[in-house]
Amino acid sequence: MAVLASALVSGTNLPAQETNQPIASRPAGEVEQLKRQLQQMQESFARQQAEQQKQIEALSKQIKALTKAQPAPTTIPSPPPANIAGATNTVTPDQFRWLSDKVDEVVAAQKKTLMSEFNPAIGLVGETIFSQQSKGSAQNGTGYAGGFDAYQRSVELNATAAVYPFAKGWVVANGSADAATGETSLGIEEAAVQTTSLPWNLTLTAGQFFGEFGRLSYIHDHELPFVNRPMVLDQYVGGESKTAGAQASLLLPIEHYVNLTAGLGTQLGDDPDAIGTYRSFGAVNYFGRLSTYFDLSDNWNVECGLSGLFNPDSGNVNGVLQPDGLTSLTATKRQVVDADFKLSYVPLRDNQFNSLTWGNEFLYSDNQYLATPTAGGSAYADTVGAWGMYSYLAYKWSRSWRAGFLFEYLQNDQDGAARTYGYSPYLTWAISHWNQLRLQYTHTQPNVASGIQPNDAVYLQWSWIIGSHSHGWTQR
Amino acid sequence: MKLKLSFVALLAAVLGTAPVNAAKIRVVTTLTDLADFARNVGGDQVEVRSLATGIEDTHGVPMKPSFVPLLNRADLVVLAGFDCEHAFLPALLDASRNPRIQLGQPGYVDCSKGIDPVEAPTSTDHSEGDVHPYGNPHYMLDPVMAKTAVSNICDAFVTAAPQYAADFKKNRDAYLAKLAAKIMEWKAEMAPYKGAKFVSYHEHWPYFAARFGLDYVGTIELKPGIDPTPRHIEELIGEMKAQHVPIVVREPQFPEKVPALIAKQTGATLIKLPIMPGGVPDTDTYIKEMDYIVNTMANALKK
Repeated sequence: MAVLASALVSGTNLPAQETNQPIASRPAGEVEQLKRQLQQMQESFARQQAEQQKQIEALSKQIKALTKAQPAPTTIPSPPPANIAGATNTVTPDQFRWLSDKVDEVVAAQKKTLMSEFNPAIGLVGETIFSQQSKGSAQNGTGYAGGFDAYQRSVELNATAAVYPFAKGWVVANGSADAATGETSLGIEEAAVQTTSLPWNLTLTAGQFFGEFGRLSYIHDHELPFVNRPMVLDQYVGGESKTAGAQASLLLPIEHYVNLTAGLGTQLGDDPDAIGTYRSFGAVNYFGRLSTYFDLSDNWNVECGLSGLFNPDSGNVNGVLQPDGLTSLTATKRQVVDADFKLSYVPLRDNQFNSLTWGNEFLYSDNQYLATPTAGGSAYADTVGAWGMYSYLAYKWSRSWRAGFLFEYLQNDQDGAARTYGYSPYLTWAISHWNQLRLQYTHTQPNVASGIQPNDAVYLQWSWIIGSHSHGWTQR
Repeated sequence: MKLKLSFVALLAAVLGTAPVNAAKIRVVTTLTDLADFARNVGGDQVEVRSLATGIEDTHGVPMKPSFVPLLNRADLVVLAGFDCEHAFLPALLDASRNPRIQLGQPGYVDCSKGIDPVEAPTSTDHSEGDVHPYGNPHYMLDPVMAKTAVSNICDAFVTAAPQYAADFKKNRDAYLAKLAAKIMEWKAEMAPYKGAKFVSYHEHWPYFAARFGLDYVGTIELKPGIDPTPRHIEELIGEMKAQHVPIVVREPQFPEKVPALIAKQTGATLIKLPIMPGGVPDTDTYIKEMDYIVNTMANALKK
């Protein structure tokens, strides 16, 4: 059987003496003869195998040489010479093309190391913040623990992929520590689906995501141009503009860039509104944004936007005791408007080494509350008008280094008389695209009505990315 | 029935599936060399806009919102590929709301098709810097490989507007013939300098070096996208001195200070070479750009 197998593999004809008689029953001389034949055939097989190996190697060398000589094969390469050294058969152009395609496929398969070719593309962002606060957490108004602290603000795992040809989905899970208590919790920041091919330049997003409101509210912490989200966004919006709902976005079909977004959600910011057994459409957050852009010259440009947030019946159940201790406020209607404006100098030639950005955002809050006197008496409706803003100037003078200054002003959205100023110079060292250190000093100066103390803080932020990372549109 | 057909036509137009007939093909290219090729092949049948003006880094074209309406209306987007435009194009395509030009669609014209890349990494670990996972994307600096890009653009035009196929092919052949003649000239001009060594700021030149028989010794950047460290500069200077490297190439979008220092320390000549048309004055076409590159390199090596 082994002889037969060898013969089949090597393509050699079976010896004439071959019979179906079992070897054990044959005379000794015949057995010896068969053994010799077997040995000869095995040697012949080995020779042929070696010869074919040489032919394969010769072909491979030929392909390599041709590929080097013609690195841009727009058309099919000329057929190799009729007889390749060491080969016994002629290689036709079709055979050559087939072999070349096979080699290309193998090479391409070996290169499948691109992270974004995973399905989904997965990346992880880590962010550690070391801080030193001059006041304790009860007095500094920052949310950070007093004195020295080191805490992992976030470990953000993100995954994104196409859901089907006309939609994509993404998830951002974030493990973060509470700044004051240090307790770590894991939460889903975003889990949403978005259409990619609706007509009329429409995009529909549904699920839990950062609703498009303002300029920096829908940007993750580690993508901010400074260490902390501005106070006004923390207070008026509730930090990141996280919402659970839906959002439609329309790119106007004109030559100028204008984008219009409208959405609704059961929350916008940190916490859901109107938690209860029944929520009517009157207790939902409605938000929208109109944004546009102008090229002032090749190197100078302006982006600006107007946003609005309205919840007719926010229905927050827990009253917040005011610093005066005399009243407790329960939000009943939420109304915030926002105007943002960013002027940028981005020189075309060396924009990776040089840029200047002046970013501003102004918010006006006109919330309605139900005020309940702590000493007793009937509750009454109270509308508090308050405004706040931030403005920053950032200059980049090399690929790695930039510095900036952030100014903040905030009127408390529950007491317009309570005001806080913030001043923050900062220095950023972008060691690479995926690794960045930032040093920031912040002085906050509240007035007496705010009930908190002036605070000096130093932050050192180290953020890093591993895995897939895309340069997204919102982070531009 | 007529009403029904009109509705279908309207719907097709809205959804972007209408064939390109009366109007010109709206082409947006990422880089200026591709725009030049598209204009030469497309002739009067195309309207070409380039996102880059020529002076930018090919990896660092600013992501301007004003590009979004351009891409929104484009029939084709033409790119160099090999992830060359990864820092700006994917997000812009996402924002464009144009399904015709998304990856995998006929309107997404990747000119790297048919190019055999060099320096394809076996790992895309970030410890290797800002690596291009498919290999070095700067093949356009080899004029022979640029011919492949021209042919790919022609193929895309033929698919988009088959009624003009003959015109496109005629234009392509005429341009390729012109390019072939220039390639002979450039090769002749560079022939005396085979084996000449040079370094550059970014790893733009492996294809150029291979085409003209030059020896590409290294880069000033530590790794792609990573600024040089003092130790790396010191080692590069040592290597250049040991190998008698006579040329330091600075691409215009990179700062001059370090290349100038290296040139001074090694006695090499510092030259500034564009990486796409428009990178330096009077190089508004691909042929003019390559003329400039070859002439500047040859003149520097003559010294």
